Amino acid sequence: MTPLAFLRPSSWDLPLFVHLLGAFGLVGGVLATVTLAAGARRRSEHAPLLTSLALRTLLVVVVPAFVVMRVGAQWILSKEKYAENSDWVGIGFGISDVGAIVVVALAILAWRAARRVRAGDLHPRSGTLVAGLGSLYLAALAVAWWAMTTKPGA
Amino acid sequence: MTTYDWLLFAHVTGAFALLGGAVAAAVFSLSALRRERPSEIAVLLGLTRVAVVAVVAGSILTLVFGLWLVHEAHYGYGDGWILAAIALWIVGSVTGEAGGRRDARTRELAERLAREGDAATSELRARLRDPLSLALSYGSGAAMLAILVLMVWKPGA
Repeated sequence: MTPLAFLRPSSWDLPLFVHLLGAFGLVGGVLATVTLAAGARRRSEHAPLLTSLALRTLLVVVVPAFVVMRVGAQWILSKEKYAENSDWVGIGFGISDVGAIVVVALAILAWRAARRVRAGDLHPRSGTLVAGLGSLYLAALAVAWWAMTTKPGA
Repeated sequence: MTTYDWLLFAHVTGAFALLGGAVAAAVFSLSALRRERPSEIAVLLGLTRVAVVAVVAGSILTLVFGLWLVHEAHYGYGDGWILAAIALWIVGSVTGEAGGRRDARTRELAERLAREGDAATSELRARLRDPLSLALSYGSGAAMLAILVLMVWKPGA
């Protein structure tokens, strides 16, 4: 790690705070979604409630947190010009770009699961996919915060 | 990767577990507040146990690796922002633990009521909206957020 990566000007503090707030909200929202989707499979008598809450959590927590995280990231990058072509920024933005698709896919799957459960199918495949894909996304987010903290290639 | 990199990664991983877990716990608790049936309240408060595991693991990781980082990065253990962060960590942990214990009693009541006919009672509603429980939980969250502010701005560093 270079001294430049270690020391940052104070003008980056607010964008970093915004980025971190979004990132923590995103991780917490995805964790809640995965837990609700997995809970719906284990507690089928409460599947209608838990699948609808998984969908609501995605729409009310995950999507806004993703936007805040991404806006914060762009804001930092606008001040951190030297890092534009570095590996760690590439990893972060790569995971973020794929993450946008994953969040949309999760929302569609959660909507499908909620609809199927309401129709009487208490163990829909789409619900299992929400739990599985959400868990993979959490792992990908861990790779992103590894890259953001250790800054490979800085 | 340097030792500093590994320590920072472990510290930040703890922060994600702690704050991510807190967000998840808030989702389950706020969802429980909007329900009437004890069985639904019980299942939602039961899910908070998953979040609590993340919060506890995150609390330990942030403190242990945070203190190690202070040494590694040559900050002073007596620096104001570090002392303030440790004080807030203690306040957040104590209030979070107290709030969590009250929520656990509410969950036990909801589970009992679910077994006995699943009818809502005024006692359960009152416990869910108990101002002290809510203040403890929100206070713990506010303390953790304040620590994040200190970690980003590092006043006086």
